[in-house]
Amino acid sequence: MNAVNLIVVIRCCAYHYPKAIVACILLLLSWLSMPVYAQALSVINGEKTTTLSLNELRQQSTIILSVFDPFQGREVDMHGLEFRRFLVNQFGEVPPALHFTAWDDYEVTLSGWNDPKWLMVTEEDGELLTLRSRGPLRLVDQAYNDQRDIENLREFNDWIWMIRSIEARW
Amino acid sequence: MIIEPPPSQPAVPLPPPAPFARKRRYVTWLSLSLMSFMALMVVIVYEARWVYPEIQAYFSQTGNLTGQQLATRSRGYLQIAQQHLLGEQPFDDEQRQTVRLNLDLAYGLIDVEVYRQRYRCTQPSLQTLNLLTERLEENAVTPFDTAAELLGPIDCLTSIEMNQLDLRGMAINEFSESTRRHNQILTYSSMVIFALGLLFWGMHERQLRRTERATKQTIAWMQHAMRDPLTGIGNRSALHQDVAAKKGAALALILVDIDFFKQYNDSLGHPEGDQLLRRLASLLKYVLGAKAKLYRLGGDEFAAVLPCDNDALLIGYCDQLTSVLEQADFKHPTHPHNERVTLSIGAVRFTAGEATFPDAYKAADKALYRVKSAGRNDWQITAAA
Repeated sequence: MNAVNLIVVIRCCAYHYPKAIVACILLLLSWLSMPVYAQALSVINGEKTTTLSLNELRQQSTIILSVFDPFQGREVDMHGLEFRRFLVNQFGEVPPALHFTAWDDYEVTLSGWNDPKWLMVTEEDGELLTLRSRGPLRLVDQAYNDQRDIENLREFNDWIWMIRSIEARW
Repeated sequence: MIIEPPPSQPAVPLPPPAPFARKRRYVTWLSLSLMSFMALMVVIVYEARWVYPEIQAYFSQTGNLTGQQLATRSRGYLQIAQQHLLGEQPFDDEQRQTVRLNLDLAYGLIDVEVYRQRYRCTQPSLQTLNLLTERLEENAVTPFDTAAELLGPIDCLTSIEMNQLDLRGMAINEFSESTRRHNQILTYSSMVIFALGLLFWGMHERQLRRTERATKQTIAWMQHAMRDPLTGIGNRSALHQDVAAKKGAALALILVDIDFFKQYNDSLGHPEGDQLLRRLASLLKYVLGAKAKLYRLGGDEFAAVLPCDNDALLIGYCDQLTSVLEQADFKHPTHPHNERVTLSIGAVRFTAGEATFPDAYKAADKALYRVKSAGRNDWQITAAA
């Protein structure tokens, strides 16, 4: 079902049915009309690939922190889960290195994840992260110190945006 | 002749004044010099630490994705979207999703506070992307028109890129200028500090030479104070010092007195008397050998200290002294009993030590006195002290 067809259906409903039903249908359709991409995270461990829905990850998000986001130039309430714990849950332990693939085709392999400072953000300011807000998943240093110059965005290149898959490298 | 025992401590003269102050100054110059060179090292290390992070900040990420500007990456996604919009394939749902994905990615990369603040075209471009996304979903715009609409945001992103490149160039120029300035500071300050270090080192060397010279002078002065200026042999102070230095050694002390030396001086004059004293010192040196130490105790009295562990050896020395003097035949025109110079000699063997020497000296002097009392021109050895 594409978005145009859905809109036609909504208009018909609005004409023939009561407003309450129309509202429910609108909500349902608005959800359906969201792009199908960027709604899951692939977790790869050797030959095994697990697909985690973002809803599932959002439900696991128990940390809410106010962090200054230099890309937005303001304090943002970030909602997410401790990345180290997530890795332990997924891989049994923290892998020596992780290979990330992002929705913008950025790929990088990084190590040093056995550190509680990394927060995997799923929402900010109460809004779900999308590609437009550099989501749907983002890794941020929740306790970066004064050594980082917030005026220099290059110093935040280790914040990984738009995460699409995470692969353990043993 | 009776000689009073000398003081137990020889009157050794003190060295020139203020050694402590000199040493302190010497340490200070050296410290200043070392501090200068350390300061030089600190300046160099500081400059090195300053330059490296700056270079890191500007060039460390060149060549990888994160080294690219966000605007560049955003423009890339818009151009991909354009390619799909203008492609020859039919614009179906899959194409639409792909275009939407690229528009969203482009949106995420341009929706940055820095761009919004610096570039007026950012907000309109974001609005355009919003509008196009909605219209695409509604199928209210043709792919061609959508591609044409994207030219506006692409222009904006291009101008952002150019401006950002300019800013980067300016920053690099500033960094380069700053580096040059720092280099100048480093060069000049290094030269100044190095020169100061050398200056202080020079002062330290000069002070060192002064100290060495003063020490040499002190030693020479002390040696001079231990010498008899007329004969060049030791004086009374040297006698006490040398004996004290040979503590425990078996030695002999020979006291020699010129008979009727006053009459010699009166008849031939003091210069001749001085000459006789010098000749006699040479004669003693010749007879007693290199191991003997000679001293002039004052006036016409000499002393000799030499290693000796038996009386026979000492008797031999005394005999030899008398006979060699006889052979030398130094004329003495006013000698009451002889025509030549004669000596009275008293000798003793002893074991060197601060306590034993005064007794040995006293014993030798008594022996000498006995020779004089007996008519002079003879020698006598007294029992070991």
